[in-house]
Amino acid sequence: MDKKVSLVIDGKKIETCACNTIVEAAKENGIYIPTLCYHPDLKPSGSCGICVVDIQGHRQPERACTTKVLEGMEITTNSKRLRDTRKLVLEMILADHDTDCPACLANGKCDLQDICDNLSVTTRSIPKKLKKLPIDDSSCAIQRDPNKCIACGRCIEVCSNIQTVNALTEVGRGHKVVISTAFDEGMGNSPCVNCGQCTVFCPTGALTEKSEIDLVWDAILDPTKHVVVQEAPAVRVALAEEFGMEKGLATPGKMYAALRRLGFDKIFDTNFSADLTIMEEGTELLSRATTGGTLPLITSCSPGWIKFAETFFPDLAKHVSTCKSPQQMLGALIKTYYAKESGVDPKNIVSVSIMPCTAKKFEARRPEMNDSGYRDVDYVLTTREFVRMIKEAGIDFKNLPEEKADSLMGDYTGAATIFGATGGVMEAAVRSAFFLLTNENLPSPELKVLRGVTNDIVEATVEHPKLPFPIRVAVANGLGNARKILEKVKAQIAETGKSEYHFIEIMACPGGCVGGGGQPFGCELVDRGIRGQGLYTEDDNRPLRYSHENPMVAKIYKDFLGKPNSELAHKLLHTHYFERSQTDGKVVKETTHKH
Amino acid sequence: MLSDKAKASIKKLTAKYPKPESALMSALMIAQKENNNYLDRALAAETAKIVGVPEAHAYGVLTYYSMYNIKNIGKYHIQIDTNIPATLAGARKIAEFVSEELGIEAGRTTKDGMFTLNEVECLASCGTCPVIQVNDVYYENMTVEKTKALLTSLKKGVMPKPEVPEYLGGTECNVLLKNRRVKDSTYIEVYKKNGGYKALEKALKMEPQAIAAEVKDSAIRGRGGAGFPAGVKWGFLAKGTGKPVYLICNADEGEPGTFKDRQIMEYDPHLLIEGMVISARALGAKLGFIYIRGEFDWIADILDKAVDEAKADGKMKELDIIVHRGAGAYVCGEETALIESIEGKRGEPRIKPPFPAVSGLYGCPTIVNNVETLASVPFIIEKGAAEFKKYGYENNTGFKLFGISGNVNKPGVYEYPMGVSFKKLLEAAGGPKGKLKAVIVGGLSVPILKAEELEGLNMDYDSCIKHGTGLGSGGIMVINDEFSIPELAYRAIKFYAHESCGRCAPCRYGSDSIKELLKTLLDGEGTKQDIETILHICNNVKGVTVCPTGEAFTVPIKAMVEKFRDEFEALVK
Repeated sequence: MDKKVSLVIDGKKIETCACNTIVEAAKENGIYIPTLCYHPDLKPSGSCGICVVDIQGHRQPERACTTKVLEGMEITTNSKRLRDTRKLVLEMILADHDTDCPACLANGKCDLQDICDNLSVTTRSIPKKLKKLPIDDSSCAIQRDPNKCIACGRCIEVCSNIQTVNALTEVGRGHKVVISTAFDEGMGNSPCVNCGQCTVFCPTGALTEKSEIDLVWDAILDPTKHVVVQEAPAVRVALAEEFGMEKGLATPGKMYAALRRLGFDKIFDTNFSADLTIMEEGTELLSRATTGGTLPLITSCSPGWIKFAETFFPDLAKHVSTCKSPQQMLGALIKTYYAKESGVDPKNIVSVSIMPCTAKKFEARRPEMNDSGYRDVDYVLTTREFVRMIKEAGIDFKNLPEEKADSLMGDYTGAATIFGATGGVMEAAVRSAFFLLTNENLPSPELKVLRGVTNDIVEATVEHPKLPFPIRVAVANGLGNARKILEKVKAQIAETGKSEYHFIEIMACPGGCVGGGGQPFGCELVDRGIRGQGLYTEDDNRPLRYSHENPMVAKIYKDFLGKPNSELAHKLLHTHYFERSQTDGKVVKETTHKH
Repeated sequence: MLSDKAKASIKKLTAKYPKPESALMSALMIAQKENNNYLDRALAAETAKIVGVPEAHAYGVLTYYSMYNIKNIGKYHIQIDTNIPATLAGARKIAEFVSEELGIEAGRTTKDGMFTLNEVECLASCGTCPVIQVNDVYYENMTVEKTKALLTSLKKGVMPKPEVPEYLGGTECNVLLKNRRVKDSTYIEVYKKNGGYKALEKALKMEPQAIAAEVKDSAIRGRGGAGFPAGVKWGFLAKGTGKPVYLICNADEGEPGTFKDRQIMEYDPHLLIEGMVISARALGAKLGFIYIRGEFDWIADILDKAVDEAKADGKMKELDIIVHRGAGAYVCGEETALIESIEGKRGEPRIKPPFPAVSGLYGCPTIVNNVETLASVPFIIEKGAAEFKKYGYENNTGFKLFGISGNVNKPGVYEYPMGVSFKKLLEAAGGPKGKLKAVIVGGLSVPILKAEELEGLNMDYDSCIKHGTGLGSGGIMVINDEFSIPELAYRAIKFYAHESCGRCAPCRYGSDSIKELLKTLLDGEGTKQDIETILHICNNVKGVTVCPTGEAFTVPIKAMVEKFRDEFEALVK
């Protein structure tokens, strides 16, 4: 434990941990210090200079975000000089900023707007000098508008230091500094894995998803099209906060109702295919473990992680599960199984998914994702786009009566819903792997040791007298942690020929999908935890909590797929991988083949 | 594609540094040089891969430093220094002449691909201005006639050998400039013959603490510009960390008006090396760096050769020195930016604390001292602190190099004791050319003094402060009445805006906003309110930038506007 210090902020005596910065100490004690570039989950860059405060005895103001508290400090957060300075900096930023706010995707969710409002920046003494730069729309997932960038550096910090992808850099210097990719060739020609964390951390609308809303509206309004939609687990716990309800509350019933009002013809649920994934991946794991196959097996549901693996760890391709992600599994089944059952011609089906994720847009566009004979998933909307559609349609989400998803592929168990939180896939997999190995369920479905948002890798060993061997597992959320665990696995294999782990869950985003790059702007680690908790609560309340008990999953195997890992299952539900260039992210060669 | 030779040189470089990333800047320069002086994506990616850094990182670095080109540029890259000392010496006329002669504006390349023209910031040739840099070569003391001859030769494909400019400076102390006029002074044999390496001999018999104590006792203040006592700085070095200690010599010499350190490095490199070896012994450093601005390519070669000589002569048993070339960035004169730059990154200042003495290069305890400071150490050790203190007076001890440029008859570097009267220095430099209007005495980033404010001014820290300015680096720019202060202010802010690292908003936007406002005023479209806004920016940016370099512009601009307000108001119609 760090020791406590006492200090005075604006005449109020406070006590706080000596480890805190002034901003942290102030926040903890309910004192507002205006900030802009600062984000509690990132190393402070001190770039904006808005948070300056006066400290008695110091010749000049200090940045509250980077200055540690000291015993006896006397701090003033508000004086004419400080107000003048903050306003000046903001005026100068605005002079170089595209201030067409109503047209901005971050409108109403913009830190720059908020702070200008808080500090009543109403004058414009600095001449406007914005020179419009072209928008980078080279990526199918993420759009970058340099005219809205304030060069705070949050995106670089998350991309380089948390995700270790290093797609972004500051380019040039002075007032010409922009955030860009190598040789300004765009996100689509960089090693960007589309995780979208930059969009979540961006304080303005400079980094956003590439919107597909218009395409989806067109499909809905096209009478010849049959539009089918699926929604990822994490979406249902991120809507409440956008509509003035309790943060983290799971609202699947209102979600389905809203989708129906938007005009989707059929509403399935990605949670159904999450249960299916457990059957396929669990079977794959047991088959590998019992036949001397490649271990550890690593999960494959996070498309940001998959591109990361293909780019930075192509030599580990055989370790990655061949299972498609739940989105792609369901996409393939909608245009085959559902088409067959409903009699709708698959060529008229438009398959839409609602995801907490920007990387899913890239995944859906992978050329190999057409095993149904068509694009398995046509359009991917992020949670943010979905929210905008709900608002656009004038739907009063908060007061919507709850509805159900459509049967066939709309039912799910508690195991599926926790896919959206870090550790959830592993927990769901262990629940069913235990059953597949012992023919009985675990005494309790909950593996709390795997739960919770942390910055560290979580490891566990599942032991039980009935298990033929203890199962050694690890969970990594965030790609920096993924890199760490993979380096460890590589080192173990190099040294002893095998790794200690049987199964590893990797999610590209901190906190798992609840913290995905397509989730509402402005989220902090603690919000990721609250959303994750919402999923665990939902799991708790589900009548069924084991994927292998989902009756619709049993039905699809009986009526259509045969059994897990069958030939048809392999054709529709499994995939293969590539090696990608660390320069532009393009495919270099195949690393694994499809069965 | 990199040639095999280039790949081999890059690999050798990566092995030379404690961390391979440190070789990035030099590696990119090697790649650029063998590709018609510019880098394309494939080349940068290949270089980044060998060095072991992400490509985006390399791109961030190469767009940060002004000496890298990412566009195909002419066979001859003509760079004309138009910063204040050069402007005072008539660089504008030359720039206009070249532009007309080549038929291109600055920033463009001729259609035949022969020439690219650029106006650049201070090349540290203030005493021998105007200067034109063609590729790696400096042509100094240029006139329109000489420029014409240069262009004629270049058009024929011949790079003429530059003339060595006549040395006009002088010394009263005979320490730092002792060997300035000596033939072959860069050779170790000549240096030793003139008494060189005696101090090291003495130092090797002293305990490290005794060396540090002597330097502290000398009360020498850092000669880079901030004037912090060097011995006290050494005392901040974190002890017992188990980590290596590094000594870095700051040879970035980028402050406009400053061209003193190059005199030492170019003509007496062993004096610096001797100073570094002695200082490293005091600090316990086994590896030292000389961070030299990239434009001083030939001086870096002189240093490399001198280091090799000193090694061969057994002078460097306790210290190895890497000469690290910058690539064009004023901010790298700030010590934490300089450290970032040696680490192969964009030269952006760090948040302090921690200070380098606690956590500097590679997170290890690091001392950064200016060339002149380190070159003074041999004297302090050989003759003793007491002898050093005989020059100058309390709190302002020792001898000091003063670079005098602008409108004087004998511009050059002069060595005098601290506290020499400004009048005496001006006389030594041949007096002003034309009617004296104003002087900037400490490099560009100090308040300008009007002619009448110079009365009683002595060139030392305290007297300068008393006169409302700063001694800074001792770069003195003399301005006569042919020059308009608003125009000089505009040229000055262009420099600061161009050199802002761009990391912190007050500096990035502040310098650029003032640039725009001054331009509006000079174009005759400004208002009185614009003058107020300029002052408002100066007052509010001061004190809130991450580094002192960031807020530096507020000082000269504010002083120029306040002291010559009539000239600014006259621009308002």
